Amino acid sequence: MAQQTIGSGRKGFAGRLLRDFRLNKWKYLMILPVLVYLAVFAYKPMYGLQIAFKNYRPTRGIAGSPWVGFLWFEKFFTDPYFWRLLRNTFTLSALDILFGFPAPIILALLLNELRNNKFKRTVQTITYMPYFISLVVMASLLKIYSQENGLFSQIIELFGGTRQNLTISASAFRPLYIGSGIWQYIGWNSIIYLAALAAIDQEQYEAARIDGANRFRQLLHITLPGILPTIMILFVLRMGSILNVGYEKVLLMYTPSTYEVADVFSTYTYRMGLENQQYSLSTAVGLFNTVVNIAFLLLTNYFSKKTTESGLF
Amino acid sequence: MKKLFTLAIVMTMLFSVVPAFGLELQSGADMYPIKTDKTITWYAESNISPHEKFTNYTESPFHTGLSEVTGIPVEWSFPPAGTQSNVFTNTLLADPTNLPDIMWGAFMNDASLYLEDEMIWDLTPYLEEYAPAYYAFLKSNEAYDRAMKNDAGQYYGFGFFREDGGWNDTYLGPVIRTDWLKEAGLEIPKTISEFETVIRAFNEKHGAKLSFANNRVNTTGLSGAFGAFGQESLQYFVKDGKVGLAQAQPEWRAYVAWLNKLWNDGLLDQDFLALDDTSIKGKIHNDMTGISITSMGQLNNWNKERVAESKDGVWVGIPYPTGDDGTLSMVFGGAGIGTSVAMITKSADEDTMKVALQLLNYAYTKEGFNYWNFGKEGVSWEMGADGQPQLTALVTDDKDTDPLVKYGGATWSGPCIQATRLLYMKNSDVAIDANDTWFYPNEAVSAYWKWPVGANFTVEESDELKIVGTSLGTFVPESFGRFVTGASDINSDAAWEEYLKTLDSYDLQRVLEIRQACYDRYLAR
Repeated sequence: MAQQTIGSGRKGFAGRLLRDFRLNKWKYLMILPVLVYLAVFAYKPMYGLQIAFKNYRPTRGIAGSPWVGFLWFEKFFTDPYFWRLLRNTFTLSALDILFGFPAPIILALLLNELRNNKFKRTVQTITYMPYFISLVVMASLLKIYSQENGLFSQIIELFGGTRQNLTISASAFRPLYIGSGIWQYIGWNSIIYLAALAAIDQEQYEAARIDGANRFRQLLHITLPGILPTIMILFVLRMGSILNVGYEKVLLMYTPSTYEVADVFSTYTYRMGLENQQYSLSTAVGLFNTVVNIAFLLLTNYFSKKTTESGLF
Repeated sequence: MKKLFTLAIVMTMLFSVVPAFGLELQSGADMYPIKTDKTITWYAESNISPHEKFTNYTESPFHTGLSEVTGIPVEWSFPPAGTQSNVFTNTLLADPTNLPDIMWGAFMNDASLYLEDEMIWDLTPYLEEYAPAYYAFLKSNEAYDRAMKNDAGQYYGFGFFREDGGWNDTYLGPVIRTDWLKEAGLEIPKTISEFETVIRAFNEKHGAKLSFANNRVNTTGLSGAFGAFGQESLQYFVKDGKVGLAQAQPEWRAYVAWLNKLWNDGLLDQDFLALDDTSIKGKIHNDMTGISITSMGQLNNWNKERVAESKDGVWVGIPYPTGDDGTLSMVFGGAGIGTSVAMITKSADEDTMKVALQLLNYAYTKEGFNYWNFGKEGVSWEMGADGQPQLTALVTDDKDTDPLVKYGGATWSGPCIQATRLLYMKNSDVAIDANDTWFYPNEAVSAYWKWPVGANFTVEESDELKIVGTSLGTFVPESFGRFVTGASDINSDAAWEEYLKTLDSYDLQRVLEIRQACYDRYLAR
């Protein structure tokens, strides 16, 4: 091992790369579009990140705006709404992970147990369909159902509650947000688990049956471990976007009366950056967002590798 | 009291700009067409793009015609369809060395910064010589002149003015179902108590509630009847020379308490905070509301949609209710000066700038006024017997929406003077009647309270405003919702004190100081 390192070290990184390139030049060619894509759309815009540390004005350009150090970060962290935003962002995201993440797994497991293929396909199609409804349409449906005399209010009344407009009620926001999210994405997100389920070796089930395991035991000891790597990878990726509560949906659903629970980093950035033209401040918030996300990604990945030996890197 | 009254009169005279009679413009007959070998590039952020039926400006009679009548070739550019226009403008501004010669857009608040950054021409030394008609027009009205220069007295652009002053700026007001009113045997409400009586009567009879699209009331609503100046959105106002925040006034508290009472009595639609122009129609067309606040255009739509369902068009505009003692501190409105401006950028050299001045000047000549509003004489209009332009069959028989946009540039707004006649041509009769009701009796209180469109913050002020008071825009609408729905008790002095204290802790006083200084400079121009 040590010898190998020394051996290749002598040639240097460039030498090794050149040798590898000669060997695999078509593979390098294949990776080129991806590299170009990343360079143009992910790395080049990073040049603009510096406006988080500047007092940026479009007329002065990025280079011409004066440096202000950590002014915007300071402003953001001392903002009266900082803690509320942090709390809301984490709560919405955590609830979404708690309820929204297992839902498609459960659906996939249930579908997997179905023996009637026709029924299975029908259920699958019906559960995908909401995925193709645009967010704007879904949010306006929700708003109509949530009116004082809307569908939800009528159901609540049926069970002895009082009619009220749910979109302006702070206590109803989270259930509406999480519930509609599950409804919209459960079918679509279950596809990848169904694919993982199909890859499990059928002989294992046979062996288990011979050993006398019932359906539930098979699920617990064969099916779940079989798709665990898929679950973990998706979980790590999901944790890496813990602060990325989709602003479009919140923006479409919230009203000032629900800011208390609904206002998150991304909507705050939107109001400040696009409506009030505070480019520097919103860039600073965005940068903070990314740093926290990366921290969570690394942390989850670390624990995932420790406990299940599967992770991203 | 007398002093207050005098002050109010003075302020009104200062700010209500009503040159309805006697718009006197210079003739440009011996100036145009001019001879030049320069081509002017002109970017227009909004409102003067070619009619939707044309693929580009070379097909548009207005745009090509302007070059013909002025003798100046123009290369137009507009934000691409489907983009957010102000964002596209910002991308242009990101490269300040390579701008179109003329830029039309919402730049008034930043004019001082642009002058300081030397991005645009200071027009002061050239205006009188190269844009004499515009210069004379500005000098004819102090309010216009004041709005079109910065605090240092530098002229920076060509603005949008309405011939009739604020008529079209008051485009919102209360509306009512006349059939229900007649059935209830009630008169059109004049005071806020009578207004409430009508709401109660409609509620008893039809189960209807007071409801409105929130975007039509979040600015000012009926706050004027309580002596207040705003509803939900952060609203700065000026009274007796002092800048204030509408939502920090005891009058606002009284207004919100009234709304809260209606809410508790089940008379105010619980959905209104989340309604827009589309979703309100569910209430309008299902007999769930009989009294509301809306715009000229929406009022017309409501009636049209009823007629389409073979019902009667029963909605009409009614006067803004006053307080029971006659109080009406303000109505929604403005001074008839637009927030957009055409500036000449430093990308134009001095000679090009002079040609651009003459191009822009045309709109403010007698001939140019008619051209910008109605198009070419003998094509889209002819002089009628009453000495007023009459549209020809070319326009009146055109079934496209807003056909006049093909020939004129003043339908929405532009660097020009919008003719009152044009406004009457483009609105429906019921909308015009409604707006007459909303505006004329209240003309004196429609604009005096407004933060002036032409006020400029200094570089230091605009930098500081990025730091202080930024939470107010979130806190105020949120509190409004809490007070109306009763989540916080507006009638509790402790809750009110707490609210005021929070406003102060969000630097309200500093924001008011900055705005006061800015306003004082504006007055001193």
